[in-house]
Order: sequence, then structure tokens, then C-alpha cells
Amino acid sequence: MKKKLLVVEDEKNLCVLYKEELTKEGYHVTTVMDADAALRLVKKQKFDLIITDIRMPVKNGIDLITQIMALRKDIPIIINTAYQSYKRDFMTWAADAYIVKSASLEELKSKVKELVG
Amino acid sequence: MSELRKDIVSGRWVILASERSKRPDDFRPAQPEKKEVEPGFCPFCEGNESKTPSEVFARRRKGTRKDKPGWWVRVVPNKFPALTRGIPPVRHDEGIFQWMDGTGVHEVIIETPAHDKELFELPLYHIQGVLETYRDRVISIEKEFQYKYVHVFKNKGREAGASLNHPHSQIVATPIIPKGVNEELYNCERLHRQFRECIFCRIIRDETMIGERLVLKNEHFCVITPFAPRFPFEMRVYPLRHSPWFTTMSKIELGVLAKTLRTVLSQLKNVLSDPPFNYFIHQAPNPNLTHEAWINLEKSYHWHLEIIPVVTRVAGFEWGTGFYINPVTPETAAGFLRG
Repeated sequence: MKKKLLVVEDEKNLCVLYKEELTKEGYHVTTVMDADAALRLVKKQKFDLIITDIRMPVKNGIDLITQIMALRKDIPIIINTAYQSYKRDFMTWAADAYIVKSASLEELKSKVKELVG
Repeated sequence: MSELRKDIVSGRWVILASERSKRPDDFRPAQPEKKEVEPGFCPFCEGNESKTPSEVFARRRKGTRKDKPGWWVRVVPNKFPALTRGIPPVRHDEGIFQWMDGTGVHEVIIETPAHDKELFELPLYHIQGVLETYRDRVISIEKEFQYKYVHVFKNKGREAGASLNHPHSQIVATPIIPKGVNEELYNCERLHRQFRECIFCRIIRDETMIGERLVLKNEHFCVITPFAPRFPFEMRVYPLRHSPWFTTMSKIELGVLAKTLRTVLSQLKNVLSDPPFNYFIHQAPNPNLTHEAWINLEKSYHWHLEIIPVVTRVAGFEWGTGFYINPVTPETAAGFLRG
């Protein structure tokens, strides 16, 4: 059975790209463009992994992962952001990996594989 | 009228504009910094050990296992560090510019399993345990010869740079000596030649004799508000025994330091309504390395701890000039801090 990934990303083009690339890798990928939508889905469905951006309108990715942790500590989470600077926030430790976005998706794909197989 | 004062160690001038404010009330936030609402999860809390890297050191109850509950002080490497452990970095030159790999150590000391306790609210033996942990971790890291300087610091409160309320301190070791420390070491050597004694020993003697900036003195430490402080209610904790290295502190001395810190941090909380603050230890570079630049380091430098409440903002004037405008004289601040 395909592993279910949830991608939280406010850039529409990146949502499309991640969905295409991770689907090719054999995962079932759901994308949402804001943290509240992600939280609603996490309450309803079981995901094997969440990939989230940090800087998003309304609620940022760090608030999202802390709320997810309060619901379910066992979901692996990858932070996928354009910024190194959020590493200073120790709440990012709730995540299992911190990836700085780049043109290549190899690091992201390899981390996904490491965490969910 | 305002007054310009020079800090003898750093050589920095400050402007004491005391007429702008005279009471601690002026620095109390309209509402004390709110405890952040963390929705039921903190990676530093007991039970969440799996969310941190494996511990490098812990003080734990007998019979409890590594990376499991049962600890009362826990040290873990930074999960997403800015500097990573590695081989000694090579300095590269690119024209006029220099760079090196980001090699270093970054550890977090989780001071207690209790999320809502402040360090100074803990029992004395526990505060002493945290201080002994600082000492033991610094000694351990200094055995790795590529790190010239090990810095211990604490940020408390969002305004002071803390991202979590859970009490914690940090240790960062770097392959180079930070510029501010370098300048302090250089100035101390120069002042040692001028006064023929450690400048900090002289400051301790003079300040305890004058008394107006003395906050407290006990058998091993004194706390003063410095003559030319950058910030309101800034304090320095000096050991009475001369030593360039914090790591030379004995168990007994650290017990007294625990008592000293508990007193002054509690007093700071009372006077300024629980302000955000930073404290850090300034000590000489890694004693396992030779530092040819300072031939008299052991005699000229004196480790100390600086406490800086975050009650004013550093802005354009300070950034642009290196001058600091401080609206509270250290004599006034010491008066309030003595209680």
C-alpha cells in the first residue's frame, strides 16, 4: 500500500512540483496551501509523513507542527523551508528533519525515503 | 545632566542619561511578558526525549536509562546546528575575503524537566547541578583541540532570544576566538602591564570598598553594577579568587555561585517584574592550547558572568556609533537590586 504524504506549501507551483515528483517516487501525495487546512486533514486522516514549509500566511509551519505534536507525536515531519534562520527556534526540534529548499529535490526525496521507506 | 563614562576593560564609552528615568517602574513592561501558550508540546519536556538528539550528558535518578525520563539536567547536541563538529577548519582566502567551514559544537543544557520553573526557582542543589554541568561540558569540549573558545550562555524570554520557555542554556564552541573576547583579553593584558595586577581584581577591590555599585558580596563572589553599563540593571558576577577559567571552580565555589545567582536573578525578577534577560560567561580561551598572543593570560584575565536584562532596545545610534545610552545609573540600579 502506498505511503501517504501531506505537503503543506503556500506556493502553488511548488505544490504541483512536489506532488508530481513524490508521486513518481511511489507515494500518495496530498497538498494543501495553509496550516489550518493541514490541521483539519490531520485530524481526519492518517498520514505517514508531513512535509511543511515554515513561512506561510496566517499560521506558520512551526505553529502547525507544535499543534500536530499535541495531537500525534508519532507522525514524522520534515521542515522544508527557504530559510536557515528558523533553526534558531528550538520548536523546530518537533520535526525529524530540516531541509533548506533548493532547485534539486534529491535531499527531500532521500529524507522522505529514510523516514517512511 | 547626562554623563559620559568609559568602561575600563572594553574601552567603550556609554552615555548615562539618568534624568530620563529614575525608577524601575519605567522599565517594567505594561504587561509582563506573557508565558507563551504552547499547545501541549515542548521538545525539552520529560517524555519527549525521542524528539531530541541522544544526550551527551545527564544528571538522572538512579536506575533510569539514557534518553528516557528520570533526568533532572540533560545535555543534548543541537538537532539542527549552525555549526557542526568536524575536522579543524582551514582558512581560505579569496582576494581580500576570508572564510572557513562552519565547524563547531552547539549543545543545549535543559536545566530541569519542569517546563514552567525558572532556574532561580529551583532548589540550590539543582542550580549547582546546572553550573557543574556547564563546567563539566566545557572541560569535555576543550579536550577537542580545534575549538579555541567555548561560550556558555542563557537566553530567558522571547525578547532575549529564547524560542522556548522551558529553562535551558546553551554552549557554543568555535574554532576562532570571538572578536569581543579577543579585544577584552588584549585590553586586560595592556591594563595588567599598566596597573601591575589583574584589572578585574582591582575592580573587585575598588568596588567593594566604594560600595555604591555593590549588589552583594559573599565568601566567594561579588556582584556589581558596572561603572559604565550599556544597559539598565546590567550586572557582573565576579569570583573573588583570581582565575582566568570558569572551569577551575570547585564544587564548593559553584555551590556559592548557585546561591549568588538565585539571589540576584530573584531580585531582578522582583525589581523589573520578571524581565527577559541574557547571561553569559566570559572566560579565557581553551587552556589546552597555546595562545601566543597573550603571554600573561593567566595573570591578566579573570573569568566572570555578565547578566543583561532586556529592557531597552539597541537601535540606530548604538549600532552606528558603538555608544550606548543608558537611562539608569549603576548606582541607582544597585540600590534597587540590593533591596
